[in-house]
Amino acid sequence: MIRDITIGRYYDSESVIHRMDPRTKLMGVLVYIISLFLVKNVCWYIGCLIVMLVLYKAAGVPFGYLLKGLRGILLLLCFTFLFRMLYTPGDPLIQVWIFTITKQGILKAVQMTARIALMISGASLLSYTSTPKELADGLEKAFSGLEKTGIPVHEMAVIVMIAFRFIPIMLEELNVLMDAQAARGAKFEDGNILEKCKGVMTLLLPLFLLTVRRSSDLAMAMEARGYTGSGKTSRMYPLVYKKEDRAGYLAILIYISVFIIARISSLSF
Amino acid sequence: MIKIENLVHNYTIWKDENTKSEKTVLDGISLDIPSGQFVAILGPNGSGKSTLARHLNVLLLPDEGTVWIDGKNTQAKERLYEIRSRVGMVFQNPDNQIVGTSVEEDVAFGPENKNVEPEKIRRIVEDVLRKVRLWEKRKTPPSKLSGGQKQRLATADALAGLPECLVLDEPTAMLDPSSRKEVINIVKELNQKEGMTIILITHHTDEVVDADRIILMKDGKIIGDDIPKKIFADRSLLKRAKMDIPPVVELGMRLKKQKIGLDEPVLHEQEMIRKITELYRSKCGGWKDAAR
Repeated sequence: MIRDITIGRYYDSESVIHRMDPRTKLMGVLVYIISLFLVKNVCWYIGCLIVMLVLYKAAGVPFGYLLKGLRGILLLLCFTFLFRMLYTPGDPLIQVWIFTITKQGILKAVQMTARIALMISGASLLSYTSTPKELADGLEKAFSGLEKTGIPVHEMAVIVMIAFRFIPIMLEELNVLMDAQAARGAKFEDGNILEKCKGVMTLLLPLFLLTVRRSSDLAMAMEARGYTGSGKTSRMYPLVYKKEDRAGYLAILIYISVFIIARISSLSF
Repeated sequence: MIKIENLVHNYTIWKDENTKSEKTVLDGISLDIPSGQFVAILGPNGSGKSTLARHLNVLLLPDEGTVWIDGKNTQAKERLYEIRSRVGMVFQNPDNQIVGTSVEEDVAFGPENKNVEPEKIRRIVEDVLRKVRLWEKRKTPPSKLSGGQKQRLATADALAGLPECLVLDEPTAMLDPSSRKEVINIVKELNQKEGMTIILITHHTDEVVDADRIILMKDGKIIGDDIPKKIFADRSLLKRAKMDIPPVVELGMRLKKQKIGLDEPVLHEQEMIRKITELYRSKCGGWKDAAR
């Protein structure tokens, strides 16, 4: 389960989408997610799906990666589908014991599940095509206006970047801890839910302690390298909008316009 | 480059919530390290060598005594970052000092925070990555590097601050023998080619045979300070510092005990081989006999 996390996994390739400025891509994902909430008709989701597939193709990311991203939230998707289907009132289609499946229920279920799945695959594409550093820089620059209101945007960007850096380290540490505890006879797979939770505690506690110690070491190393946490900073690769980004923004604009026009003229939503 | 006079450092230890006591980790250290010297600091755990290292990078300030880096007193708070940029620091655990999510990003982290222009950052990054031989790996995430490569990256990080002196605090303690060699070779190169002042803290005696000078520490005091040949000749001193004698030196000493004439300690394997063949030739009549 933990290995299925795709957020923060970069897929190296030389595509147009990889070359784009992270700010353009962030905007794209934001607009895409908004568009998913604008529509209600199932047919429109097929349209959104096609757009997503085209983008994956353009980015040169294999479609398998799209599914990989969804595997981690498979359980969530199943639950969403099931409960939406069973608990939406409307015209009954099938009735089994105390459960009633309604026509509206099925539509609602498909709609919600599609929304979540497409949202996640959109966000995954963002992390496949931009390195964590690019994302952090993009966020920092996009929100740099907030710095005046006292929100520490730069610090937050550094925190995001370090968090990404720590993900593989903590996974590795977790594996070592699991092996160490298993060698001493701990069982993580067997037993009822209560016992499993207890098993997880024996992992989380040392992991937490190790992480705190690691952070204190890292803080010292950063200080030794002259990090002050304040003052002006520069970038090795400063973010500049290029030709691709203008095209990207245009595409985003056209995309969202279609949805808004459709919504206003209330075409079959 | 670095001058230390009568440095004392105490740590506060909390026995329980209310009673505290002070432990003296550095007890009157005085040192003078000239520019370009390769100094090795040896000592058992708890001898205060890491604490001493942290004073050189102004991560700690003296409780008593004074530390001067390049003639500047480390107590001067307003010049802290100026002084700190003179001395680069490499720590023991490579994973705990790497910030970036790729090799080049990590090296760029220091200069970026000092607001160096992008053009110059790229130049520095290329330069230092070539020095530690990681330029080909610049796009690799640090988690995919080996231990030796990670420690070389940490060295590059320190070099990116353009220091004149590099302090390495047990950089090889978590590495396997071949990675250890990689790191130590880079350090030696930096000293010889760039003339960088090196302060190497370690407890592997075989790493320091090429140093210009060895400082032995124990219980917060300096108990020996000399060239490697002299230090390794003094067996009781090494024993007092709980240091192993490198195998080559040990062999030389045993030969000497058997009255086979090696007058001074031999520090390198190649040198030992040469000396033994010479001895054999002179005493046993050369190679022909050996072949028979």
